[in-house]
Amino acid sequence: MSLIEIKNLNVNYKTTRGEVHAVRGVNLSVAKGEVLAIVGESGCGKSALLKSVMGLMPANAVATGQVSAFDRELVSLREKEWQGIRGKQISMLFQDPMTTLNPTMTIGSQIAEALLIHHPKMEKEKVRKRVYELLSLVGIKKPEVRAKQYPYQFSGGMRQRSVLAIAIANEPELLLADEPTTALDVTVQAQILGLLQEIQKKLNMTTILVSHDLRVVSSIADRVAVMYAGKIVEIGTRDEIFTDPRHPYTWGLLRSLPEYSQGKEMLFTIPGMPPDLRQDFVGDAFAPRNRYALQIDYEEEPPLFAVSDTHKAATWLLDERAPRVDFSTMDMVHEVSMEEHEHAPRNHGEDPKKPLVSVNHLTKDFVLPGKKKMTAVKDVSFSIMPGEIFGLVGESGSGKSTVARCIMNAYTDFEGEIFYADIPLHERVARRRERRRLSTERQMIFQDSASSLNGRMKISDIVTEPFRIRHEKPKRGSLKKEAAYQLSYVGMDEGYLNKHPGELSGGQRQRVAIARAVATDPKLLIADEPIAALDVSIQAQIINLFKHLQVEHGFSILFIAHDLAMVRFLCDRVGVMVDGEMVEMGETEEIFSNPQHAYTKELLAAIPKIGKERP
Amino acid sequence: MIRYYGGKILIFIVSIFVLSFLVFTVSRMAPGDPLVSYYGDRVEKMTLEEREHAENRLGLRDPMLTQYQRFLEKSMQGDFGISYKYKRSATEVVLDRLPYTLVLGGVGFVLIFSLALLLGIVCAVHEDRLLDQIICKVGTVTSCIPEFWVSLMLILIFAVELKLLPSSGAHSLRVDTLSDRLLHLILPMTVVVLGHLWYYAYMIRNKILEEIRRDYVLLAKAKGLSKRKILYRHCVRNMIPSYLSLMAISVPHILGGTYIVETVFSFPGIGTLAYESARFHDYNLLMLLSLLSGMVVILGNMVAQIINERIDPRIRAKEAMHER
Repeated sequence: MSLIEIKNLNVNYKTTRGEVHAVRGVNLSVAKGEVLAIVGESGCGKSALLKSVMGLMPANAVATGQVSAFDRELVSLREKEWQGIRGKQISMLFQDPMTTLNPTMTIGSQIAEALLIHHPKMEKEKVRKRVYELLSLVGIKKPEVRAKQYPYQFSGGMRQRSVLAIAIANEPELLLADEPTTALDVTVQAQILGLLQEIQKKLNMTTILVSHDLRVVSSIADRVAVMYAGKIVEIGTRDEIFTDPRHPYTWGLLRSLPEYSQGKEMLFTIPGMPPDLRQDFVGDAFAPRNRYALQIDYEEEPPLFAVSDTHKAATWLLDERAPRVDFSTMDMVHEVSMEEHEHAPRNHGEDPKKPLVSVNHLTKDFVLPGKKKMTAVKDVSFSIMPGEIFGLVGESGSGKSTVARCIMNAYTDFEGEIFYADIPLHERVARRRERRRLSTERQMIFQDSASSLNGRMKISDIVTEPFRIRHEKPKRGSLKKEAAYQLSYVGMDEGYLNKHPGELSGGQRQRVAIARAVATDPKLLIADEPIAALDVSIQAQIINLFKHLQVEHGFSILFIAHDLAMVRFLCDRVGVMVDGEMVEMGETEEIFSNPQHAYTKELLAAIPKIGKERP
Repeated sequence: MIRYYGGKILIFIVSIFVLSFLVFTVSRMAPGDPLVSYYGDRVEKMTLEEREHAENRLGLRDPMLTQYQRFLEKSMQGDFGISYKYKRSATEVVLDRLPYTLVLGGVGFVLIFSLALLLGIVCAVHEDRLLDQIICKVGTVTSCIPEFWVSLMLILIFAVELKLLPSSGAHSLRVDTLSDRLLHLILPMTVVVLGHLWYYAYMIRNKILEEIRRDYVLLAKAKGLSKRKILYRHCVRNMIPSYLSLMAISVPHILGGTYIVETVFSFPGIGTLAYESARFHDYNLLMLLSLLSGMVVILGNMVAQIINERIDPRIRAKEAMHER
């Protein structure tokens, strides 16, 4: 008996630059008590599908088709009718708990509001009791105290728990979760997932979970649907999808995970990017990125072929006339669209045994309003050798970025010593004397390329700005030629030179940021969470780019990340930071196979394992 | 907490002190004869001895710093000297006139901000639809027209042509009824309100829209709240701190606007008084009025700052974030 039945659902957004077909003819049914996960890259229509189930699309969106649930037809509901269903029969969890709660209302009153909307006559005392009950249900201790606090007094994980409390306040039959753990730290993510699963079982809530993180999905879903370009291209039980994927896109997504490429030269990537959904597709939308695409893929849209009763996939490869493809050989092929690299890393004439950066007993305090002192980094020491990739991992707030900023001299009022080659960065005179060299040889890449690149500058100007600032003649002659060269180096063509950052996707922007950083031929690259905001498949592309450039240029990288699998794949050595202290440091493989510190163990255990059910 | 408010009070006192010194010295350095405001046209016929005697009597012959010192000592005791023109204690003169300005400015202030909130909400609800566009465009045009010109046009239309409303003063000669006073208030009040309303309505509209676009609105919607309730319970509520600080900041602007309007309509408030005292070197009156306006302005800004720093939990939230 299915709780919700979606038939031929289409969602179109009207924008100034044409109509976006975000969801194209989706058919789905979810049984009562089932957890269905929808996966795919961003821009595949996952969120649009979820929002249309709850009538939460923006005003410029139109949904057509059928969504039947609770003996009603939802698509044609009017706003008034929706209000009776939302929060009562369907609830939603959102991606970013930092912004989804009203900052000026106490947590308790926000939960109480959810109750009172649907039970306006509920007694005050009863409401209060229920709020406490809900808070303890989602694992918040001392609910009497916590209910009176404001969101800013809660951590990210606690806020997501509160949002969950709001969502389940009226024990809805259907819970929609839109990337509920993406914005959280790994260990917190694991807790929230566990909680979500526990509550789902307890209330027997049907759940539709949208995520781009396959690891999250594999630990919690009963069934998995893979979405591409607004269509469901494969659907099946979790085991079917993770052990026997039939659609090349599903296979590609799985293979992009660094777990599958450990010890290999490069990560597997799906070439290209998700398509623009403004076009009308002829044939299979995935065909241009599919290395096994057949002639018919470009001409006719594939139907859903049934692999088993529960497993269906939309690819012509499943047609009986199609050639058999053994996906397991795919990881041997590397279609990296970059020039072959020479293997000997260029040596910059330094002694390879002498560290490029050494940090000795670094301590950095911040003075807060009211003269309170907060120590962000406590007595941290490490060094980075020339040509080495050093990974720095830890939760947000553990001081990783502060270390990076001290090395970049964004902060100069730290205690302890930092040497770059022979230059003492803790001495003002030395910094000033070597200013030119430092600004050429040290470069930084940030997490959010949307805000770290100036949106009003052209890509070509962004990439060549270092030359203009220093009045230097670029190696390739003119600034324009230099920009084109640097872009081609990171796998982008000249067509992007005159575009602005806003016209690019996240992955492309990050490539531009990398091109800009590499343009001055640096010896040290500091990358602060450079892939955290990107899709899995794009992450793999960027990590490959890092690896490729590192081999070509031979520079050192300080790689800050919280994705441990990526760190394991990329880095030579790793340091683990907790609360401003470096608790463990060593060769990557050693740390991962034999963690010593309790926190490192916890961190490693928190990574959801593919294909394994959460105990 | 004590440090915080203590600091604010200290800044307040220092600012007033600096202001008093500046106004004191600048007004005395400006060309013009203060005796004119005391003796009127008789000054022209005065002999040099008489002048000297008069200036001695008013204490205008002493070095400027001595005069300032005397002013400070006296004002500390609440004595601001006499007004040269009115030959009465300056404080009394101001107290006589203050109610007029308080009514004009105060009622105007309340009107401006209640109407602005209303218009802001209406515009935000009808964002980018015809009503919103009309209100915004009309507002932009209106707020570009200088107040004195609007005043003159209104006088021309309603007083001169239609003869519906009086053109100047606070009440008719020898008539002093409430309805007469209200009638006299209409035109100046209209100018005060029109001059400021649009700007603040537009600011409020944008503040509300900013709130409407925040993520928590989606959660509120997902709870099952109606659009109306989301608007009032969440968005407008969250905008209140910005609204209050906007109000506080606007005090000096509206006060300044009132002064101009009072002058055009010969409305007997402290605006007209301030204008006269500056023009005719009525030093004591000028000092008192400047200090009064200065205090209102500085207090207004300070209240805005305190609202921003203390009341809005989001700003406290930012502090809390840094404490992590």
